[in-house]
Amino acid sequence: MNPFCRTGDHLSRRAFLKGAAVSGGGLVLPNWGGLAHAKTAAEIASKAKKRCILLWMNGGASQIDTFDMKPGRPTGGPFRPIQSKVTGLQVCEYLPKVAAVADKLAVIRSMQTHSPDHPDGIYHMHTCYKMSERTPHPELGAVIAKYNGDLGSDLPTFVRMGSCGNAGAGYLGPAHEPFSLGRDGKLGSFSTPYLADDAEKKRADLFRFVESEFAVDHKAEPFASHRTAKERAWRLLRAKAVFDISKEWPTAKERYGDSDFGRGCLMARKLVEAGVPFVEVGQENYDSHADNFVCHKANMQLLDPAYSGLLTDLSERGLLKDTLVIWMGEVGRTPGINNRAGRDHFIRAWTTVLAGGGIVGGQVYGATDADGKDVKENPVSEGDLFATIYKALGINHRAKHLTGVRPVWLTPEGSQPVKELLG
Amino acid sequence: MPRVRRLTIATVVLAALLCGASPARAGDESLRQLIDSEVKAGWAKKSIAPAPKSADSEFLRRVYLDLVGTIPTHDETVAFLADKEPKKREQLIDKLLADPRFARQQANVWDLVLFGRNPGNIDATRKRDGFKVWLTKQFAEGVGYDKLVRELLQGEQAGSELFQVQFRNQPEEATIAISRIFLGTQLGCAKCHDHPYDKWTQRDFYGMAGFFVRIVIEEATAGNVKTYTVAEKASGEVLFSGAAKDQKPGKKGDPVKPRFLGGNDLDEPPTPKDAKEPTPKAGVKLPKPPFSRKQKLADWVTATENPFFAKAVANRVWAQFMGRGIVHPVDDFQAENKPSHPELLNALAERLTANKFDLKWLIREIVNSEAYQLAGTGSVTDTLPKHFERARVRPLTAEEIVLTLRTATSYESTGKSDDQSMSPNEYFMRAFGEPMNGMGDFQGSLSEHLFWNNAEQIRVFARRKKGNLTDQLLAATDPWEKRVERLYLTVLNRPAKPTEVAKFVEFIKSDAKPDGRVEDAVWVLLTSSEFRFNH
Repeated sequence: MNPFCRTGDHLSRRAFLKGAAVSGGGLVLPNWGGLAHAKTAAEIASKAKKRCILLWMNGGASQIDTFDMKPGRPTGGPFRPIQSKVTGLQVCEYLPKVAAVADKLAVIRSMQTHSPDHPDGIYHMHTCYKMSERTPHPELGAVIAKYNGDLGSDLPTFVRMGSCGNAGAGYLGPAHEPFSLGRDGKLGSFSTPYLADDAEKKRADLFRFVESEFAVDHKAEPFASHRTAKERAWRLLRAKAVFDISKEWPTAKERYGDSDFGRGCLMARKLVEAGVPFVEVGQENYDSHADNFVCHKANMQLLDPAYSGLLTDLSERGLLKDTLVIWMGEVGRTPGINNRAGRDHFIRAWTTVLAGGGIVGGQVYGATDADGKDVKENPVSEGDLFATIYKALGINHRAKHLTGVRPVWLTPEGSQPVKELLG
Repeated sequence: MPRVRRLTIATVVLAALLCGASPARAGDESLRQLIDSEVKAGWAKKSIAPAPKSADSEFLRRVYLDLVGTIPTHDETVAFLADKEPKKREQLIDKLLADPRFARQQANVWDLVLFGRNPGNIDATRKRDGFKVWLTKQFAEGVGYDKLVRELLQGEQAGSELFQVQFRNQPEEATIAISRIFLGTQLGCAKCHDHPYDKWTQRDFYGMAGFFVRIVIEEATAGNVKTYTVAEKASGEVLFSGAAKDQKPGKKGDPVKPRFLGGNDLDEPPTPKDAKEPTPKAGVKLPKPPFSRKQKLADWVTATENPFFAKAVANRVWAQFMGRGIVHPVDDFQAENKPSHPELLNALAERLTANKFDLKWLIREIVNSEAYQLAGTGSVTDTLPKHFERARVRPLTAEEIVLTLRTATSYESTGKSDDQSMSPNEYFMRAFGEPMNGMGDFQGSLSEHLFWNNAEQIRVFARRKKGNLTDQLLAATDPWEKRVERLYLTVLNRPAKPTEVAKFVEFIKSDAKPDGRVEDAVWVLLTSSEFRFNH
């Protein structure tokens, strides 16, 4: 018996044959070759940096109808609150499964932000800067890809499905750009090689020969960058099997709910398990200026199993402590109900939710007044939220970069991570 | 020693002006000789051993790309390499500068300078064919750079107005862009607070903004087409209310008199007390104001006495060919950022001014210098060598990639040249448009390489089609060795090494049917670093 490994660390035969390595904790590891140098699979898993999943509620979910109920108030609406697993935390009656995992959630009820519409709100909540600045700020995913990702891995470092951000990788550069997946896991454009495998391989070998000839006399950085990016693309094309969830889906849909969003959440779990540091999954659509309650009831019926299923899945696999899950949209919704039974955009007091990644769960941070018209205590700005997220992920929230000659920081000056959330 | 040299140049220039002759070849030193002596002096001071002179093939490809935005054909390559004329490089440069593609390449370069890949008011400025036509015409007609900038700042010639449409209703953005591009000065920091390390204050910033605050972009729609006019009101002031962090809602500011950067306040007649701004009417153009700040600014920016203008453009054109400005970054002239070769920069600026801002003349001198013609090989790994001791490396732009793919594969000969546009479409722009990070470093990306690897739009260049390169290679009857040599001369514009010939022949012969293999061989060269960059 090998003294360096335990039975649990041994690779499952099926996984081995698939070309993936599975650690005792169920972590599927990229770069099969790397395993040969490590003592145990668990050691590799523990060296991996923290990961993040962003559940993007496109259109802006209503806080009063989800996580910040106002029962009996004129702004409360027809939904009723239910008691969650955590005393003092009530959620909407249409989120019963989420209520059962409330001990993992940190509900921030005091978001107070500055961009009220969709394009600017999406930009602001993805970059924590205003769109009007015309500085090419990177999205949350690009920052996490750069700091917590490994450009040598087989999979992209910034993956997204469905509605998402509109800022891209900004001044961090195209190496950290987002990689889009279709809702059903189909890869984006230009992801299907037109050559058969063996012809691809032969062509790739010829390319490597040409490059090595050129590299003898030409040593500038861009040449290396060009080569490594091409190898990265080839590795991705070979690792495409990870994106296929068709075998796992029939059982998983019991847990995640049979919806596009549910599939997206399962895919996110699979990808962070395989080492992708950031995955964004968008849910359509919460922009209920009319028929707010019909819209939210329908959306919550998809959100409830998918969100709770994702958290449970991550937790069971021992991944939740290293994976931060963010629930947010670009804006909240008005406490006042308009004449079309809708709620409009509202940025003065709304809710985002954090879970996992070392966040202290089972708590409510901040509070709104009785009608939800303003923040009563502990307002949280975009910068504060991002500072908290970066700190949880081990990233310096005041890291400085240059765009042209102008210095820029990951979060605006004065942004503070919220201590209560980080424990 | 330097002072004597400068005096010599000044005398030469003065004498030439008095004689009415171009000082390029008159006097002690041509500019190209001066460039080389200055650059060599720089090496000597730092005990740097420069790269050797470039091989003919290296120079050939580089100068074609830099001057006409595409590579030479196979026949042009062979002819140049075989030519025994000692002055062949100089003659080639003359030929390329007279080529109509030179104007187009300059227009592409300057369009990117003036707009970037993500211009303001993008719905109006994204498609700017009219602007590009105007800009190409300026370069084709050899319009002096000072006249060109004057037209951009006036915005009265058809096509030129789109430059200012970027800054519609945003005088601060106009201030930042115009200072950066034409004056080589980063004023942006001084918008919200006094500049942290340079000498500019907020008053300097808003003093400049005063020149743009009266500009009105008028819009007219005819069918689907929007046209714009740069008009100017007779009144309107910039209100300045202090540092950005001290602002509160409702805080009004005080009007700031327009002031030329680093210079005097604008001498402006006071607005008469009973003056009224004409009411704007639909379809009626705003009349010209009695006093035009726009014109005064255009006059001041392009005046020969302007302390920033000539140096900024001389530096920028130098960087266009040498990789790095003498002041680097190219638009960041300030006390803390000293020029690497100050006398050279002064000479470039002075001589360009004396030559009526003729950019073609300046380019001819730079490209004929030994410094430009250094090899790209050498031990220095910098992309943009600081002392110009080795040729710089730059990625081909999206525009150049499209043209170069066409030339390399004889795409025109397939008779299908219309369906693939000659300017980059949305996919090419997405893959190749913006390959740099915020600091100007090149980064390869997944989307670029997935595009190279899998896109039909790339494959169409390599796949056999009657008349194209792959077809020519397959239809030929000479031995494969000869055909591979032809392949290298066509795509990489150089002779193949024996190892390369052997490897490629082995690759092609590894399949009984060579069609796919030749296509793949062509593809490999098209996606190689050697092709992707100019070096």
